[in-house]
Amino acid sequence: MNLSRVATVASKEWREMVRDRMFVLLAFLLPVLWMLVFGYGLVLDVEEIPVVVLDRDHSSLSRDYLYRFVTSRYFDFKGSLNDDGEVGVWLDSGKARAAIVIPEKFEERLLAGQPVSVQTLIDGTFPLRADITKGYVIAINGAFSGDLLADYVARTRGLSRKGADRLARPINLEVRYLYNEEVRSAWSTIPALVMFSLMLAPPLLTALGIVREKESGSIYNIYSATAGKVEYLAGKLAPYVLVSFVNAVVLWLLATLWFGVPFKGNVMLFLFSALLFVLTSTGIGLLVSIVVSTQIAALIVTMIIATLPTILFSGLIVPVSSLSPGAWAQAHFFPGMYFTNIARGTFLKGVGLDVLWPEVLALALYAAALRLVGYRLFTKRPRS
Amino acid sequence: MKEMETEPSSQHSDTVVRVSQFVKRYKKHVAVDGVDLEVRRGEIYGLIGPDGAGKSSLMKAIAGVLTYGEGTVEVFGTLVDSERAAELVKQRIGFLPQGLGLNLYPDLSVEENIDFFARLRLVPKHELAERKARLLAMTRLDKFRERAMKDLSGGMKQKLGLICTLIHDPELAILDEPTTGVDPVSRRDFWAILAEFLQERGMTALVSTAYMDEAARFHRLSFLSNGKQLVSGTPAEVQALVPGSMVTFDAAPQPEAMARLKASYRQVEALGPRLHVFTDSTDAAQAVSQIETALGDVKPSNVRVDEPELEDVFVALLLRRAERQAADDTVSFPTTNRDYHGPAIEAKGLVRDFGPFRAVDQVTFRVEPGEIFGLLGANGAGKTTVIKMLTGIMPPTGGEGWVAGAAMKTAGDTIKERIGYMSQAFALYLDLTVVENIRLFAGIYGLDSRATEERLRWITAMAGLHGYESSQTGRLPMGVRQRLALGCALVHRPRVLFLDEPTSGVDPIGRRRFWEILSRLAREEGVAILVTTHYLTEAEHCDHLALMYAGRIVAEGSPSDMKSQVEHEAGRLLEIDTDVPGQACRQLKGAGFSGAALYGAKIHVLSRNPLEDEERLREALASDGVRVKAVSERPLSLEDVFVHRVMTLEQQERAASRETGA
Repeated sequence: MNLSRVATVASKEWREMVRDRMFVLLAFLLPVLWMLVFGYGLVLDVEEIPVVVLDRDHSSLSRDYLYRFVTSRYFDFKGSLNDDGEVGVWLDSGKARAAIVIPEKFEERLLAGQPVSVQTLIDGTFPLRADITKGYVIAINGAFSGDLLADYVARTRGLSRKGADRLARPINLEVRYLYNEEVRSAWSTIPALVMFSLMLAPPLLTALGIVREKESGSIYNIYSATAGKVEYLAGKLAPYVLVSFVNAVVLWLLATLWFGVPFKGNVMLFLFSALLFVLTSTGIGLLVSIVVSTQIAALIVTMIIATLPTILFSGLIVPVSSLSPGAWAQAHFFPGMYFTNIARGTFLKGVGLDVLWPEVLALALYAAALRLVGYRLFTKRPRS
Repeated sequence: MKEMETEPSSQHSDTVVRVSQFVKRYKKHVAVDGVDLEVRRGEIYGLIGPDGAGKSSLMKAIAGVLTYGEGTVEVFGTLVDSERAAELVKQRIGFLPQGLGLNLYPDLSVEENIDFFARLRLVPKHELAERKARLLAMTRLDKFRERAMKDLSGGMKQKLGLICTLIHDPELAILDEPTTGVDPVSRRDFWAILAEFLQERGMTALVSTAYMDEAARFHRLSFLSNGKQLVSGTPAEVQALVPGSMVTFDAAPQPEAMARLKASYRQVEALGPRLHVFTDSTDAAQAVSQIETALGDVKPSNVRVDEPELEDVFVALLLRRAERQAADDTVSFPTTNRDYHGPAIEAKGLVRDFGPFRAVDQVTFRVEPGEIFGLLGANGAGKTTVIKMLTGIMPPTGGEGWVAGAAMKTAGDTIKERIGYMSQAFALYLDLTVVENIRLFAGIYGLDSRATEERLRWITAMAGLHGYESSQTGRLPMGVRQRLALGCALVHRPRVLFLDEPTSGVDPIGRRRFWEILSRLAREEGVAILVTTHYLTEAEHCDHLALMYAGRIVAEGSPSDMKSQVEHEAGRLLEIDTDVPGQACRQLKGAGFSGAALYGAKIHVLSRNPLEDEERLREALASDGVRVKAVSERPLSLEDVFVHRVMTLEQQERAASRETGA
């Protein structure tokens, strides 16, 4: 291998890259854009559900009950309505996702010890959101019922309010969330989005860069020269690896500074893994470029290979552990999952190489294997 | 290096490339089928043939950048049969792939492009500086070192491509269609540079071209067609294969004369008002008398007899191979009543500005009904802009124009109904069949079903499309596709036909058939035809020519007028045949023949006084010990005319800018 040839190819590629304004835009804007769009768009937290209430009882107890919804951070109180028709209008238009209807004689029946049904209408368009909304309603309702019971016990047994509470709610659940203390979905998705962006842009740019030469015919300059395959591929890929690695750093900054995701682990470990991952994803671009011969085909093939498995099987949205056995196996086949684990591990858990070494090793193997296969398949004397 | 199995006796000592029984297949398609050739040190070997003849596949295989199926390819004595073997000879080869400047890097400057190629080939720094300076000076690109490649003109890109291919001083240059799409002046420049390089460095070149008129520039050549090698040898050897002579004369009425001649001769062409016939007879008087007999009561005038050009030889060879043409000569071209009076096309002082740039400057010309008018010029001379204005696609900045009696400014839609337009790209739908394409165009022009059927029959017969009706257009040979495109442009019986670079990539027989149809359209149906081209051999077919340069018409007249004008100004063309052309050429330049140029193995020089000059140059060469085999006068080609005109204008411009600069 002649290093001066590698440098020649790399510096030519670099100059072409930076002089092509469209390319610069794509290379540096695209990953950041993806990060921003998905970072804000892919928030799975269900909070501030717009809610309306219909109080047919107008008693102090009914007001007390509804007040708990109005002040909850999970609900966004939109207003108090006067008849059933209005409830329909609010829900149909989507201005409200839930409605709480208090029946007549709510207070009277409760005080008389009779059961009461509070009608709760929830928009079920998105089952996940509806389930979570239902959960919030049950929780608020349960708390209210418990308080009522405690009040009753206190009154009838003549106990203190605290003692009555203990009797009415004997088991107290104490939950402590680890790693993502505030259970914010953003904290979990954004490290995975670093993976997503690095899985998409580098292969795309690499494949386009090589196929462009095939399309124009300038690849024949390499075919017909004495430059070796390794020299060409190393020089050709170097600028793409560099640009992608710079992107990895930019994305890390974006995640920590802009989105405020805590980073608890070792920065060097994260960056080293990011470099391995970038070598892997540019390797995928190299393989694509060998198989196809037009830029448009390169675009389509890369997008399919890079996006689908990444969204489905890399733990971006659905945790790999909760996939079906088949999907679980597929997830282990794609490199995205390993880097997701590293990203979440270093960002949220703060774990080091002692825990993450299998993932780092897997990425290193991918990077090496893809290059080896690319080298074997690339020929300076093609069939057509 | 591998040992060769061929016995040394059959090996020419100077053989650089040796190809035998070469076959290249792409899946089922056979691109090259059984080619043998041998390129010797120091020569320019030509591969000639139309698009799809197999030239590129063969050249790539020789350059070691393409596998092949059968046969052997030996380069510098190494059998190129694997990637590893190919690597052994690559340092000694320079390969320029097809496509003008496509292998260069558009965002890099001229110098950066050269440096890239040099460093890729590990050219030592001091050698690079010296070589780069020499090559840039030779190609006159030294002023543009810093300019980005994408901002160069076509001719400059081509020269830069050549520099990049030669920067590592290869022993063998493989150049794939280096002159395609380049204007005649740059083409001529290119050949001069290549010849100089061969002389100076003792290099060998394998060059392909689709321009038949470049065949004489090669020392030896192979003519390929459909993957097969029809003929190979020196130009003289090839010419000797088909002895005969070309007789050119005026005869009226032309269609009648054509019809009579075609009964006895296979190669009859109309070149404007003149007829061009290939006869087997090498004796001039006999040839003429045979033609007079065939013509009967039509009397030829202005008769001229020449040796056949290489293109005529290729056509004769192709015709020998081909079946008798399926062309339906009986198809009639009905004369229709003209629905307009006056000239078919008239342009008066047309001007078009793009911002501060004047693309078309005061263009005035007239085309009569039944006339074939050629608009010539390099890329960017303004030809296409003129057509766009006349067809009503683009409004002019100034001036007026009428097409088929309709004013171009006010009657754009009438114009579109009365004209047919065929572009370089043949605007056909490649996924449709032949008949579907014709019906589609009939539908676009709003023909009713009876008219559609009638035109369909006529177009099929006229264009010789019988048997192709339900073939997918994309699978047709280029020549057939071109005639289909012409048919589609004629579906609504236009009175005026615009053809924009209509014959790129078509084989010589296809081109001749195409022109035959055009000339019948003009002569028999009275259609006026305006054609743009930079294929100058095509321009010979026109009745009238206008040469555009920098937006202006700078010369006008019939092809023979234009030639005699230049003959008058610059002199006649002398061809000198010697043993040592390179040395002789240098010698002649030193002796005051500044325009002497290598043309294949011969030297061309313009002379105002041929008799005196012949004596003078014979003396000059004899004093240097060069033996002159022959000096003969050659007819000027339109390319000579074009180059002379443009060079004169460029010199004037340079002189003018020097004056204003001083």
